[in-house]
This record gives sequence, structure tokens and C-alpha cells, in this order.
Amino acid sequence: MTSETSMRRSTTLIACLATLAFAALASFRGDSAPAEATLEEHAEEQAADEHGAPAEAEKPHMRAPIGVDLYVREDAWLRAPGPEWFKKQSDLQPGRFTFNEEGGDGEGEWVDAQNVYRLIYDEEEDVYAYWSWAGPEQLTRGRQDFLQFCSSCHGIDGDGYGRSGQWLRPSPRSFHQSNFKFTKVIQPLPTDAALMRLIKRGLEGTPMLPWALSDEQLTDIIQYIKYLSPEGEGWRDPFTGVGDVVESGEDTWVGKEEYAIERGKRLYHDPSGANCALCHPGYVNPSALGKLLGDDSVKARESYYLPVLKDSAYEVQGQPVKIMPPDFTWHQVRAGTTTQDLFETIASGIKGTAMPQWKGALTDEDLWALAHYVESLINDYKGKPDARAEFMKGLREAK
Amino acid sequence: MSGDHIHAEPTNFFRKHVFSVDHKVIAKQFLWFGLVWLGIGGIMAMLIRWQLANPGDPVPVIGSFLFPRTGGVIDPATYNTLFTMHGTIMIFLGLTPLIIGCVGNWAIPLMIGARDMIFPLLNCLSFWTVFAGGCVGFYSLFVPLGATEAGWTGYPTLSTTVNGLGSGETLWAIAVFLIGASSIMGGINYMTTVIRLRAPGMTWGRLPLTVWGLFLTSALNVLFIPVIGSAMLLLIMDRVFGTTFFVPASIMQGGGGGDPILYQHLFWIFGHPEVYILILPAWGIIGDLLSFFARKPAFGYRAQVGAMTAVTVLSAVVYGHHMFTTGLSAMLGESFMLLTMIISVPAEILFFSWLHTIWRGNIRFTVPMLWSVGVIFVFGLGGLTGIYCATIGTDIFLHDTYFIVGHFHLTMAASALFAAFGAIVFFFPKMFGRMMSPLLGKLHFWLTIIPLVSVFCMMFVMGYAGMPRRYYDHTSMEFLASLQHMNKAATHMAFLLGSAQLIFVFNFIKSRWFGKPASTNPWEVGTLDWQTETPLPHYNFKDIPTVVTGPHEFSHPALPEGRDWISMTEELPSA
Amino acid sequence: MKLHTKMMQRLTSLWTSGITRASLGLAILCGMAPEALAGGKRWGPVPFASDFGYRFEDLFWLITWLCVGSFSIVVIMILIPSVRDRYKPGRKAHFDHGASLKDKRLATVISAATFLVLDAWVLVIAMTDLREAWWNIPESEEAGVYEVEVLAQQWAWNFRHKGADGKFGTADDILQMNELTVPNGRSVSFQGTSKDVIHSLFIPAMRFKKDFNPGDINSVWFKPITAGNYTILCAELCGYAHYQMFGELHVLESDTFDNWAADASELGVAAYDSEDTEARWAWDWKE
Repeated sequence: MTSETSMRRSTTLIACLATLAFAALASFRGDSAPAEATLEEHAEEQAADEHGAPAEAEKPHMRAPIGVDLYVREDAWLRAPGPEWFKKQSDLQPGRFTFNEEGGDGEGEWVDAQNVYRLIYDEEEDVYAYWSWAGPEQLTRGRQDFLQFCSSCHGIDGDGYGRSGQWLRPSPRSFHQSNFKFTKVIQPLPTDAALMRLIKRGLEGTPMLPWALSDEQLTDIIQYIKYLSPEGEGWRDPFTGVGDVVESGEDTWVGKEEYAIERGKRLYHDPSGANCALCHPGYVNPSALGKLLGDDSVKARESYYLPVLKDSAYEVQGQPVKIMPPDFTWHQVRAGTTTQDLFETIASGIKGTAMPQWKGALTDEDLWALAHYVESLINDYKGKPDARAEFMKGLREAK
Repeated sequence: MSGDHIHAEPTNFFRKHVFSVDHKVIAKQFLWFGLVWLGIGGIMAMLIRWQLANPGDPVPVIGSFLFPRTGGVIDPATYNTLFTMHGTIMIFLGLTPLIIGCVGNWAIPLMIGARDMIFPLLNCLSFWTVFAGGCVGFYSLFVPLGATEAGWTGYPTLSTTVNGLGSGETLWAIAVFLIGASSIMGGINYMTTVIRLRAPGMTWGRLPLTVWGLFLTSALNVLFIPVIGSAMLLLIMDRVFGTTFFVPASIMQGGGGGDPILYQHLFWIFGHPEVYILILPAWGIIGDLLSFFARKPAFGYRAQVGAMTAVTVLSAVVYGHHMFTTGLSAMLGESFMLLTMIISVPAEILFFSWLHTIWRGNIRFTVPMLWSVGVIFVFGLGGLTGIYCATIGTDIFLHDTYFIVGHFHLTMAASALFAAFGAIVFFFPKMFGRMMSPLLGKLHFWLTIIPLVSVFCMMFVMGYAGMPRRYYDHTSMEFLASLQHMNKAATHMAFLLGSAQLIFVFNFIKSRWFGKPASTNPWEVGTLDWQTETPLPHYNFKDIPTVVTGPHEFSHPALPEGRDWISMTEELPSA
Repeated sequence: MKLHTKMMQRLTSLWTSGITRASLGLAILCGMAPEALAGGKRWGPVPFASDFGYRFEDLFWLITWLCVGSFSIVVIMILIPSVRDRYKPGRKAHFDHGASLKDKRLATVISAATFLVLDAWVLVIAMTDLREAWWNIPESEEAGVYEVEVLAQQWAWNFRHKGADGKFGTADDILQMNELTVPNGRSVSFQGTSKDVIHSLFIPAMRFKKDFNPGDINSVWFKPITAGNYTILCAELCGYAHYQMFGELHVLESDTFDNWAADASELGVAAYDSEDTEARWAWDWKE
């Protein structure tokens, strides 16, 4: 009886333990293998199986990715949110953050529960660098959220080549390049707040949807995205500028929208103005261009009513990607169609593309005029096939 | 089968209450286990309904505790997890343990006159396997990269690493596998017990319908759970070892690879019988209960058994109706449509028999009787709406809308749940030696059936209006925002339904310890389980009884005045 | 204990009174009333805009009336004994095993009636509908068929039209994302697949849906009969943002559409980058 009982008991226990062991094994698999190595090995194995030798053509994303490392073990110094954030923190908690006021330049550190923030002054360049320290816990949370939410398009390594991102043009952002198109900041790198705003808003007309994630999750993801910059570039280069968000200020044309549109139209087509029609389509009949600008020597480019495909700084797996400037009567613009959105986009430019930063090159008044003009194009013709066809007929017939 | 082999009762606490091999203890373990999971699954349903009525609002009171990272808001990933786990839990960890684990373990040996299951140790292992499955499933909610998000059906490639890299989905598959293993063990045990351990005289024609239902269910379990087991194993291999059973190569780039549709075939070969796995015991139970409380023989006993058997057989050949929109060939689609439609014939025979069983009876509207009549009502609604889903012409629009949600909740969820409630109240006096409060029971019944029918009938309207299921937020587009009022109404009723279950919890716990002591046969029925002492001795029957009468000989004309039932061990007096 | 018993008795008598039960039922129904009475809401589907839409509506309502009829019988057969045959001490129920020849005949007749009325009737109509409408996918050669390739992904719809040269996979193809423009009155035939997980193209106003699976091409078609804008949904759970995966269908009158298509094709050529081979997706139309 005793032996029978103990045998039964041990059988049951072994079954339970085996189950739990299997479960634990499955849940912690991949803990030890770094992502890149595993993926490459796996791709090579596959290629070797099929062709007898490793082949470049094998794309890692085409395979089911296994053994992905969920954890980040390194700390990282990343560019912090910017000088204002530092100022605010030192105002909020005086004494925690100490400026070294000697000689007029600041240097110092501010520490909270998870992060260390550091202010560095570079004498040669005469600039301040605001660094923050992201610890492995935060980066790990960021990586896990990135893998869960972002990796299907942006790739498991953040190279912009996820399974759902293939064949997409424009392609999903590769975080190995530190270029960001629609963050609406003046300097090369966007602030955390600008990135968060972008992710929360999404990009219209793309699979980048407005993300309903919490601020806490987004902050972690953003730190991880910054961490993906190559060493010494982007956020991991202390002296790349982290920009200020474009300030739109007041619309200077309230109540005078018609004049704004008129002025915007001239700026848009004027080679010595904004010259938008160089890449975007021209929206006047070429024969009427001289009359519009009051200068008969101005000639319209070829296929004036079509946009021109432009080179960009972006690439997918080493392949350069061209970007199509939108035809405002046809394409969906990405970052909002209100006057203010358009102002901000025009003012900040679109990083990595042919669209330069117009803030500074044009006055705010002119920028607002352009925004009004573009908005009127969108409102009058986009999604209105009959109206647009009529409009385009007028443009074409002059050729 | 030999009458004299009686095991001694264990005295060790662990052997008596934890790793017991006694079918009565295991039945109670399944009961508590099922009720706890039913509660967890129910709370998940409430959270889902909250999100649908108030998209993006923080859940009041418990929100900040459950979802601290989002400040109490259910985010889309969590929402997907909630409905996935709600489905998995309710089917595999709530209803299956209750209606098969608990009722099966309790009723089969007692009703057929056996001292225990034929494989007591396997019975114990069956419970602890499902327990381990439950633990793994629960643990899967807390792993990095999120829990399972692929729906209870777990369709690849959503459930493969194409969508989720974390271990949540893998653990979910392991949990389903373990639960399946448990059901197979149970199924083998039940079938063998019914075949080998029937008391002398307990012929197949005298088996109570409950036992018939459980027997047929066990056959389905043993035949079809291995199919989902294999599907889960392949899925686990795809996820953990990088195979590509279900991950196809891209259509544009050619090459070999797996097929996600293969999984759907495997899943539904199991998945459709699973519906009947849950509903057959329910049919059996109410077949008995209607007769017991109408004080009339079960009308068309043989027809009922025949119909249940026919459904068991048919259940294996209709699964394709879950896949009408997947690109199934026209011929297969039409065949499955025809076969599915044929199920309405045995179902109609069952309705015919049940309704005739209560017709001209002497109906005692006890709580189990109310639940049984409730099953006829909700299964009628659910079954008839099945015609829309079986007909491809209508399914092509209604598939994956709320119409389907309403349909399967009424058929497999509500019907099985009602039968489980009926069975719990019915067996309670013998299990715990006390009666459940009939007043609270009736209140619970009415406060359950009215909101339940309202919620799911509302879903028929939503589905017909074109609202797809598994949407996190229906207000994000104009087309669905105009239907939001129905979501709100359904949520109000669902909250009422949810809070009504507290009555049951209170009634159950209060009656367990403070209920009115029960007599040995409070319902005055003749089946063998009620011819025993209360509380039941460890060995159930000191002498294995000899059966001489059928289970449903109520109101027999030959019975003496003032008595309308007869025990299965008593000879009918000659008229 | 005595007080307890007394209270329970009170409660029991309160409960058994019809007024209590009726008011309880009313209260529950009132819980739904505010939503039900609010104006400007939709209670049914949008009107159909495809030529086979009426088939769905007809079949749906035929089944509905059959169900209402059958379910009424069930409810009546529950209600009558519930009222008439309630327990009375001393009364004996009608003893009947239901195994007589008469009962068997009755069961057979009702089974046959169920099969003929509920099943066969619906089945015959459904089969006719399927053959004439949903499964009657137009051949490429048929005049006026408009073909579109669909590539679903997390979480967007990519549509590819042939463009001016009438071939898929060329420079002048029209590419649309989350928007689909088609001509009114012509059969629109889709072939679709998916990049990642299973998606299902669901256009409620056109009364059809079809899953698009990775690794396989599925076909589906419809013929719009009313110009206008309609919602495109994804009906198969496809992950995090499943609920945001929607698009818009524009059905244009044929003149407008021809202008639109010419412009779109021209813009397609302008946007075509011949060096960017990574960006190609298209397949030869599968017959």
C-alpha cells in the first residue's frame, strides 16, 4: 500500500513538474542568444540548406524569427529632451541639478530614481550637450514594447525591413539612420516630445496609425529607438543638435485668407520665392505663369502639372529610396491638413528629403500664406474627382 | 465489478483532499476549479464590455490595479488578450471542468451504480493536468512582450512569430495542450467506466440521459482532442523551433513553406465537435431534469439517445462551416452547408422530445427545472440563428460580425452554463448534504436569463448592421460609431448579468456551510445516485444495487396513491 | 434563526407575487431604454449598393421569418405547460414514454417538415444565389470586368489597378492605400493576398467579405450599382490595430472614373522608380 501510494504520488508530481519545466523552458527561450547572431546564423543555415552555400539573397524577415533576445544589457548615454527640460527640472527641484556657474558655462548632473542626466560643455564647439542615461531596465522595457508593437514593420533590428514593411514606399523608417521626416523640429534630431507626438498622431495615409499606447510605454520605446542609432551618430553623438519644435505663433492672415492664398500661390510658383513647383506640381497653366509672377522670362518646367520623383537620404537594405513630393490635389499629406499643421511641416521641412527647412528662409507671414494656399488646394480638389478633372483640364490644355 | 472489493478511505490529508483518487472529491475539485475560472473569465467579459461601451476610459475601481502601466486604461493589446483569454478560459477552464469534469465525475459512477471510476489514478492525473494547464495559461498573462493576442482560435500566422515574438502565445498553446490531455484522460476514463462498471441490470436502455450525454461527449473528446493537440504542437514548433508548418512563403517571391489554412482545418476538426462536447452533456442533463421535475417519463428516450448519437456523428463532418470565407472551394462549401443544415433534424427531435416531456406533466418549478427550461429557450434562439451562419449566402456577410458572437454565446456558452447551473443545484444536496436556497436560486435565474438574452439578441442586431467582432473601439470610424448606442445597451445588460452571478456565489457559499440539511432524496427521483446515504460513504454503495426499472418511470399508473416515483432498484408493481 | 426564517418567508411571498416579477422585468427593460430611445441612431445595415445585395437581404429575412415561426412554436409549447401543468399535490402527470407508433410517426413528420421548410427551402435559394452571384466570379475576357489586386498588411489595404496599359506590374499601375476607386456598374473582380497575417476584405454595403491569406491568392467580386463612398473593413483579427484597419471605397460614375484613372495612371508613371526593384509587388492574374 505504501509503495503503491508513494508511486502514485511521485507519478503525479513528476507530471506536474515536467509540465512546469517545459513551460518555463518555453517562456525563457532565447534568453541567451543575441538577436543579430541568431538571425544571421539562421539565415545562413537556411541558405546553406537550400543552395549548398550561404547566399545573400536570403532575407531574414522572410523566416519566422526565433531566438530573439528580449533583453538589453548595456547602459546608454542618449541625447536628453533638450535644454528646456533641464531648465524645468532644475526649477522644479532646486539643488538636485547643479549648474556649474563658474566661468559662465554650465556643467552638472541631475539624478532621479532611474536616470542620470548630465550637462556637458564643449569648449571647442562652444555648445552644450544634454545627455541622459538610459539604464538596461528602461531599454529592455523599450525593446520589449518595440518588438511587440513596432517590429512587424520596422524590423526586429529596427532596420525598417519588417515583414509587413516590405514593398512599402515610402518605406518604414530605419532607426539605424537618425533621420526623421515629420517630427516638425528645427534641428537635425527631434526631441522626445516631438517623437511622442508623431507616434500618437500617426502618419495619415500610411500603415503608421495613431498609437494608443501610454506615455510611459512611448517614453521607453523612444529611448530604445534612440539607442538604435549607431555609436557616435544621432543621439549617441553628444553634439548633434536636438531641436526645438517649430513655433507656429499666430496666423497672420486671419480674416484675410483670400489674400493669403493669392500670395501663397505666387510664392509657390515663383523660382525666386519658395519655388515649390520645382518638385511639386505647378497649379497654373504654364502660359499664365508669367502673368501670375509678373515676369515673362519665367518658364515652366517640363510636365509642369506632375510632381517630380526626388532622391532621398533613406534606403532599404542598402537600396536608395526615392520620394514622391505630393500633388496636393491628389495625394494624402502625412502630417495633418490644418493650416497650422501645414505651416509646421513647411517651416521645419522634411528631413532626409528634397524638402528643405523653410523657417528662416522665408518670413512667418510667407509661410502662413503658403500654408493657406496648400490648404485651399486640398480643400478644393482632393477627393473631389469632378472638380479636380475640370481643374486639370485647364492646366493641360495650354501645353 | 466484483461487489466485495472496497478500498479503505485514505486518512492522510493530501491523499484525502488534494491528490485524492476518489471520484467524489475530484468532482468537487473540478467544481471549485471551474467556478473560480468562470469568475475570472466573467470578469474579463465585464472588462471587454466596459471597453466597448466606453472606449479608452480607465476602468473604474480595479483599473489602476489591473493595468498600472496605462493608468487603468485597457489598451488594444490588452483588449485582444482579454477576449482571447475570455474565450479560452470559459471553454477550457470554466465550462469543461464544470459540465464534464464535475458533473461527469459525480454523476457517472453514482448513476450507473459503481464505487468509483474505473481508472481512479488517471482521474486524479486528469484534474492535476488541467490544473497545471490553468496555471500555465494564467502565467502566460504576465510574460514579456505580451500575452496571447490571436483570439481563442489562435489562427496562424497571427499566432506565429510573424506577429508576436513573446512567449505568451507559446504558453497559451502549451496550456491548451495540457487541458486537452486532461480531457482525453477524462474521456477514456468515462467511456471505459460506462462500458465496464454498470451495475447489474443497468442496460444501455436504462442509462440516465445524463450518462448518455457524457458518454457521447467522451467519445468526441477522445476522438478529436488529439487533433487540436497536434495543431498546438505544430504551432509550438513553429514558434519555438522555427519550423514553418503554418508560415507560408510570400506569394510574390515563391518558394515552399507552410499553410495557415492547414491550422484552420485542424482547429475546426476539433473546434466544431468541441461545441458538441459542451452541449451534449447539457442535452443529457436537461433530458433527465425535465423528466424528473415534470414527473413524467422522458418523452422518446430512444429518440433522444438516437438524436444525440446522430449529432455526435454529424459533428465530425460539418466543421467547414467555420471557414466559408477562407477561400474554401465551392463544392466543399456547398457540402458543408448541406451537412450543417442536416443537424437541424436531430436537434428538432430533441426539442420535440423535451417539449413533449413537460407537456401535461405535473411540473415542479424548482431551480434545476427553471435552468432546464432556460436551456430550451436559449438553445432554441441560438440553434435557430445557426441557420443564418450555416447558409453561405448570409454567412458571407455575417461571418466575423457580432451576429456570430451572439449565436455561439447562446448555443454553446449559455446553454452549457445553464445546464451546469441546473446540475450544480440538482446535485448539491448529495454533494454537500445541504440544500441551496430556492429563493436566491430563482432570483439568480431570472436575473441571468433576462439580461443574457438581451445582450446576445442585441448582438444579432449589431451583427446584421455590419459590426465586426474583435474590434477594440467601434467609435473610431463613422460607419460603426452610429451603432455605439447598441454597444452601450449591451454593456448595461452585461453588467447586470455579471452582478447577478454574485447571487449565485453568495448562495453557493452560504448553502455549502449553512444551508438547510438535505434528506437523502430531496428531489424524489429514482436514479441510483439518490438511493444512497447522505453524506455519501467513501465506497458509494455497500452492495452494488441491481437495477430492475428504468430511470424515468414517474407517475406510473401502477404506483400507489400519493407516490409518483419509483427507485430503479424497485420492481414496478403489476398494475 | 426565527427572525431569519420569518424574513425569508416574507421575501418568498414578495417574490412570488406577480407584481414584483413584472416590475423587475420592466426595470431591466428600462435599463436599455435610454439608448433605445435616443434619436439619430442606426439599427440595421446601410442600404446595399451591389447588384447581389438584394439576395442577402431576401435570404436573411426569409430565414428570419422561418425562425420567428419555429421559435414561436417552442415558446408556446413552453408557456402552455408552464401555466397549465404546474405542480398540484395529488395530481398525477400523464404517463407517456412517447414510444408509441403514433408518436414515432409524428416525430418523423415533424423532422421531414423541419428538413423541407427550414433546410431545403433555404438551401435551394442559397445554392442558386451562390452560383448566380457570389461564386459567379466574372472571367477576365468578359466585357467590362474591372480587375484589382489587393495586398493586405498590418494594418492597411494596398490596391493595385492595371493602369492605362491593361497589365499588372508595370510602371503605369495605379497604387492606392486604404482607398479604392472603382467604376459604377462594372463588375469589379479582386485577387488578393497578404504580407503577414490573415486579413478579410469586408465591404458591408456591398454585402460580401473574403479572407486574404498569406501565401495564397483568393478571388472575390462585386458589382456596384450606386455611386458613392462606402466603408471598407477588415473582418479577421489581424493584431494590435485590427480596429483601425479600414479604408474607403469610392464608386464613381464611369465618365468621372475614366478621368480619374487616366490621371492616376499618369501619376503612377511619375512615381515609378525603375531602379527600386525592392518595391515591386504584383502577380499575373490567376485564371
